[in-house]
Amino acid sequence: MATNNSGDKGTRNLVIAMVAFIVVVGVIFSLVSNRSNSNYAVPATVSEADGYGIVLNPTSTPKIDVYLDYQCPACRAFELINGEYLNEVIAQKKAKVVFHPLTFIGPESIIAANAVACAADENKFVDMNLALYKNQASSENSGKWQGDAMLAVGDSIGLRSDSFKKCVADGKYVKWTGNVSVASGKANINSTPTIRIDGKDLDRNTEYGDPVKFKAALTAGGVK
Amino acid sequence: MGDKLKIAQPWLTLICRLVLGGVLIAAGVLKIGNLQKSAMAVRAYELLPISLANFLGYSLPWVEIGIGLLLVTGALVRFAGLVGAITMLAFIIAISQAWARGLSIDCGCFGGGGTIDPSQTKYLSEIIRDIGLMALGIYLYFYPKGRFGIEK
Repeated sequence: MATNNSGDKGTRNLVIAMVAFIVVVGVIFSLVSNRSNSNYAVPATVSEADGYGIVLNPTSTPKIDVYLDYQCPACRAFELINGEYLNEVIAQKKAKVVFHPLTFIGPESIIAANAVACAADENKFVDMNLALYKNQASSENSGKWQGDAMLAVGDSIGLRSDSFKKCVADGKYVKWTGNVSVASGKANINSTPTIRIDGKDLDRNTEYGDPVKFKAALTAGGVK
Repeated sequence: MGDKLKIAQPWLTLICRLVLGGVLIAAGVLKIGNLQKSAMAVRAYELLPISLANFLGYSLPWVEIGIGLLLVTGALVRFAGLVGAITMLAFIIAISQAWARGLSIDCGCFGGGGTIDPSQTKYLSEIIRDIGLMALGIYLYFYPKGRFGIEK
């Protein structure tokens, strides 16, 4: 300390001030940019009260929430194991089913979530949901879902309308995906997939990978 | 302190600063790209109310970067070393309680985080690493003066 001079001290204080500034601005920016915004465009089937999820059979009971990411291999496995039964439940209106496409894995999850929202507007959610999983790349953000990939996935289920193409190209619901993520945070979703019946989590260690147990869990949850 | 230790101490301080500071900066930067995931990682510990966990998930990465910058540049070393050590202690407690309660989570230390398959947890190595980093912070608290720091 004896060798200290005013120049050193000035530099030190400047560094401390800059670091404090970075931290404060960073925290404020992060808090502001991770809030939901009700001004963003949402698909017609989306309900803010249901965590900005895509709602099928809004008046049926019980309520099943599906939190997913189209790039998540465990979500693909869940769909391939239980999707057929879940789609039957949807078709027969045995439950209100809310899909929450999350985007934690990155940019291509956002591309897929936007596309499935566009498909929901064309009453093609269920088909697009399955088609996206079938088209899932073997690695995350591989580049497979860039460019016209979503148009090709749509085409594979007969979705060729101009409104769908424009919705995909414009990324119409990209900002909405942020609202879905923020709402899932408030709902304490810590993994994908997460399946809830009337707010209660299914057991991910036993009921996701076994179609008999999944069906039993839904029955126990009130799906007749 | 022996003569050899006296010569080594400022260099040890420098090494501790760069390692702990570098790790903290890396941990913070890797989280900032996906703050929703960072919030998810904090929630998965099931320690804090959801809103507080989300707040911590958004703000902690910046605090890590701030402490890391102080350590690397060598400003407020004693304070930053102490805060770094306390942060590591908090991580050790959080990971230990998750382990003890049988949760299956990724610590989310360098991005990532959330509930994972029970077979993928690696609590012991995460705790050992954080104990080592905490030791560096404690050393800096007691020996803050080192080579190439802004503080002389």
